[in-house]
Amino acid sequence: MDSLVAEGLGKCYILSREEGKSRPFWRRWRAPRGESESTAKTRDFWALRDVSFRVEPGTILGVIGPNGAGKTTLLKVLARVITPTTGRVVGVGRVVSLLELGAGFDPDLPAQDNILMNAAILGIPRAEAQRRIKEILEFAEVEQFTASPLRHFSSGMYLRLAFSVAIHMNPQILLADEILAVGDQAFQERCLTKVAELGRDGLTVLFVSHDMDAIMRICNRVMWLHQGAIRKLGDPEEVVDEYQNAIWSQADIAQSERGRRSNRFAEVLSVRLVSSTGKDIGGAPVSEDVFIKTRFRTTKPGLTVKSALDLSTKGTLIFRTTDSEARPLPQAGIYEVLVKIPRDLLAELPYVATVGCIFKRENETKEYPLLMYNALSFLVYGTETPDAPASGRLDRVGYIAPRLEWTVRQEAYAAGA
Amino acid sequence: MLLALRRWLGLGTAVVAESATALDQKPQKWVIEPARVGLIARAEELWRYRRILWFFASRRIKERYEDMTLGKFWLFAQPLAPILISTAIFGKMLQVPSDGVPYFLFFLAGNSCWRIFERGVMRVTRSLDQNRGLIKKVYFPRLIAPISAVAPSVTEFGVLFTLLVVTCIYYFVKDGVFYLRLGPQMLVGLFAIVMAAFLAISVGLWTTVMQTRHKDVQYSIRYFMQLWHYVTPVIFPLSELLKVMPENLRFIAYLNPMSSVVEMYKWGLLGIGHVSAMSVVFGVVITLAIFSGGVVYFNRSEAASVDRL
Repeated sequence: MDSLVAEGLGKCYILSREEGKSRPFWRRWRAPRGESESTAKTRDFWALRDVSFRVEPGTILGVIGPNGAGKTTLLKVLARVITPTTGRVVGVGRVVSLLELGAGFDPDLPAQDNILMNAAILGIPRAEAQRRIKEILEFAEVEQFTASPLRHFSSGMYLRLAFSVAIHMNPQILLADEILAVGDQAFQERCLTKVAELGRDGLTVLFVSHDMDAIMRICNRVMWLHQGAIRKLGDPEEVVDEYQNAIWSQADIAQSERGRRSNRFAEVLSVRLVSSTGKDIGGAPVSEDVFIKTRFRTTKPGLTVKSALDLSTKGTLIFRTTDSEARPLPQAGIYEVLVKIPRDLLAELPYVATVGCIFKRENETKEYPLLMYNALSFLVYGTETPDAPASGRLDRVGYIAPRLEWTVRQEAYAAGA
Repeated sequence: MLLALRRWLGLGTAVVAESATALDQKPQKWVIEPARVGLIARAEELWRYRRILWFFASRRIKERYEDMTLGKFWLFAQPLAPILISTAIFGKMLQVPSDGVPYFLFFLAGNSCWRIFERGVMRVTRSLDQNRGLIKKVYFPRLIAPISAVAPSVTEFGVLFTLLVVTCIYYFVKDGVFYLRLGPQMLVGLFAIVMAAFLAISVGLWTTVMQTRHKDVQYSIRYFMQLWHYVTPVIFPLSELLKVMPENLRFIAYLNPMSSVVEMYKWGLLGIGHVSAMSVVFGVVITLAIFSGGVVYFNRSEAASVDRL
């Protein structure tokens, strides 16, 4: 038996037109008839449209999609926070929602009372909640602070407690919205493990996230929402792959280009930032040379590759640079392309790199490009010293900050005069 | 009192023995549909969630009195000031009759009911707005928000009643007359206060829904309440109001449920005022009508209100 069945779910919001609102009422009154009629109307906005799906117990269903796709709306409908406009949902068992960690916590009450209150909000009998208090506090690692009011809790403790309360309320269906966007790595890891574990025990989870790695790791199925409707629903790998390709294709660098990791000649394995000693790094020190390493596998002999790199920051393309020549790849195998980013070129900013590899067969003119949009993001950081703090430094400003050669000399005629 | 309330609810106390029934219950099937939930289903739901009602109520009370630096003094000074001013103006300067008790006492009694009603309406009106954060994140029967909003009336009544008793003792010492009528009819006074709070919820159910649509409702309601105040026998006795009204229009005075609330309170505690079976029945029936209309209205516009928050 399915634990959750949604049929034709839709949610419509009525938006009033901005023109109608911003105009003061006396001017609206004085406006000519025809105009006011056209501006005073409202407009429908479907945040969800015709969403149908069924979920079996024990499924961890990942919900992905760009911002505004209706992911949160869907969860809110399932959590009964908002009423759908069309369709219906039939579910079995207790639903616990984590639309926001710690919603409903009272900062003045101690942890124990808050657990009981949260349990009450989730509609759980007090006796049941009482029995689980110890477990909850243990999982949240706040046993020592049972009696202190929540406002004395660190945000991490707050978070752990909220998550712990939710999963210990014995839900049959758990709705989690971006719960992993917060908290430290260790806790995120523990949440994921716990969710995966509960999934194996028959808990149904709807898990909204932008973190594709997490989605791939714990979900059995993935739903891709796009403009309120289901774009694709199925196997995680397949859906996530297609979703990411779609996202890349929207980057709109050139229309014919598509974000692709593989074609029939080659497959890109990884794009990494490495130091001059070959070590993987997550950030680049300003004063050191770093390399962007692209590894790919070719499946046919006799190819050439010409690589390109786009570097952008804050959504602006800073530059594109392309290898001056096509390099031969005589045998099928794994190759790596390294491009050196010299020190003192980039500013202290986060950068996003898009890597392209254009493959060609020898003696052919047709190109087979592979493009990894936003394949890598990294931070360039400076070495802060007391006399030159990074913030407020004005000597080098902008999207790049190259160190150039300066000379000062006296002109010859002036010297002679 | 809050502590007692909490203890009664069993907060912070350990459960001694409890069978593991709830956990092993067969999972219940539920349905979410655009159709509105029926009133009976709503009532059942409200009952299931009754514990949050207490949580909310105690939270509201705490909020209200938390940041008061002057503490207990302020609790009493706050309602006292307007009463003293009104006594000076209406009792001393204008010589408004007061049914044979000192005007201060007369006004205090009437004002107690009015204050609980008026502030209750204000609080209930703001309740949906105020709980927006929670309402948009967690599901619970939305009716809990307006109902729990009148909770501070409980402490307010405590303060006003204490003032009344102290005033009666003062007059007993001063004049040798004990105005407070001890006895079972005091329950009528208590009933009047409960009815005032209930009426506040009833009116508030309408206004809180309107408030989600038009943010200025909470200001216009204040204006409206002022008008209501003047047709309620707080400043003057009901008998004076009836005197100036033409015979065939007197039923209008009875249509105001607050006037029977005020009169019942005065009658129950001080033994003054006009309480007739008709006025009480009228008051109760009208209050129930406002309440049931309010519940239906609230229920109908619940989904739309939440969308607007």
